Amino acid sequence: MTRQEILEQTLEIVHECVPETEGQELKESSVINTDTAIDSMGFTLIICRLEATFNVKIPDRQWQKLYTLGDVVDAIEKRLK
Amino acid sequence: MRFSSFDELLRYYAKNTPQAPALQFETAGKLQTLDYAALYETIQSRSAVLKRSGHTCLGLFCDGSFACVVELFAAVSAGLQVVLLNENATAQQLQLTDVDTLWGDDDLTQPLLSACTGSAPNGAGQLLFFTSGTTAKTKAVALTEKSLCASAYNGGALLPLAPQDRLLCMLPIDHVFGFVCGLLWGLSCGACVALGRGPRHYFDDCAFFRPTALSAVPLLLGFLLQKNLLSDSLRLILIGAGDCPTQIPAALQAMGIRVSFGYGLTETSSGVALSLGSDPYAMTVCPDDTITLAEDGEILIHCPSCMMQGYYKDAEATTAVLQNGVLHTGDLGSFDAQGLLHIIGRKKEILVLRDGTKIFLPEYERDLAAALAGKDFAVIEENGTITLVLRGDNSERDAVQRAIEPVMQTQPFGRRIKQIRFVNQPLPRTATGKIKRWVLQQKVVTE
Repeated sequence: MTRQEILEQTLEIVHECVPETEGQELKESSVINTDTAIDSMGFTLIICRLEATFNVKIPDRQWQKLYTLGDVVDAIEKRLK
Repeated sequence: MRFSSFDELLRYYAKNTPQAPALQFETAGKLQTLDYAALYETIQSRSAVLKRSGHTCLGLFCDGSFACVVELFAAVSAGLQVVLLNENATAQQLQLTDVDTLWGDDDLTQPLLSACTGSAPNGAGQLLFFTSGTTAKTKAVALTEKSLCASAYNGGALLPLAPQDRLLCMLPIDHVFGFVCGLLWGLSCGACVALGRGPRHYFDDCAFFRPTALSAVPLLLGFLLQKNLLSDSLRLILIGAGDCPTQIPAALQAMGIRVSFGYGLTETSSGVALSLGSDPYAMTVCPDDTITLAEDGEILIHCPSCMMQGYYKDAEATTAVLQNGVLHTGDLGSFDAQGLLHIIGRKKEILVLRDGTKIFLPEYERDLAAALAGKDFAVIEENGTITLVLRGDNSERDAVQRAIEPVMQTQPFGRRIKQIRFVNQPLPRTATGKIKRWVLQQKVVTE
């Protein structure tokens, strides 16, 4: 799976889990807190959905270190290898 | 029932209702139930091992698991001082609190083992909770099992649970609200406590455990409501640790769930007032506690049975807030005609977010000041989110975003700035230069 495909699926899940992000232009550099409508509960939901979709596990303690959507894609990509 | 120690509490139910379910938890996808007799025996057995260990102070990484709960009660029962830690614990915190042994996953404990050089021979029965947020000067609140049991009794006296109730503990137990209202409240009533499985299971814990009672912070509750994740088994929800939008209790009441708000502090071993009637914001003061208001409306609490021993090894900080047995909370309140307490705001410079996170603003702003050199700025809360307010215009947004990024990356998710707002006038300040946060807040909200 390419990085672009991971990103596209990630954005799809973000929009699905947090409908308030619909219409927002999200990209890898988007900072999760300030550039998006995602709060910490929405973020938890997104990560859980991503884990199920990609069949990977991102340890809870790593969640706090994910700052941009690109960081989220990195975390998935690393675990798919 | 009023108990003076965890051992007395657990022994009482092990003797009187030995077969009643005490704890429920998940193991390999299956629901496990442990009755009071078995729980007491397990704790006693572990306590004997800890007694022989020669350790005096346990740093406990609170993952909320069954093993963690057993270790906590066993260590206190063995006469150890217990320091409740989360995954962000530092060597400085361990040294401050005299930790000489750690419990938790290896990846958390191994890097900190060299900091376990303390000794707390006089800390028997004492539990230390760190106040949320502060990093520049970490403070640990020293409570006792007696004060925590008294707090659980106070809650149970106003909001009793029955033995057939199941209280779901979804909150971290290294916070006093989670420990008392998520765990001890249930056990002190002889009810069953279901141990939540952490953030990964926020979505299905209610369906899995089918609780009748739940303690939660507003952010979590709002989310569970929005996603329709609350089970129809629920009959009582206790909300605490943060301001709550009115829609949440209204929606819960419409579902036929009784809603109660709790007000309390770590320093008072959790709740000192709870709402009991149809207005969730009008609170009855708990039986052991006396609340008065200072001239400026500050809430003053006198609660000998639940009051902290003090901030651990910090007499100066203790004296600053605790005078003649009265705690100066820094919160502002009022009493209505029925004598019920209402919380109206905060005098001290702290933000309390809807997930219970506390942010000490002077310290937080000091960290940002270096990144925003020369800028006129302040941090406020707006609709439950952390908002940075600056004098300037929107064209500076990207530059500001980049400037604060290194600081934000050092903060956990819930403590990061969520909104940036620009104002075209100087920020309102007092004659001494302090931000007038109430004025600023009003200005931003009405703009």
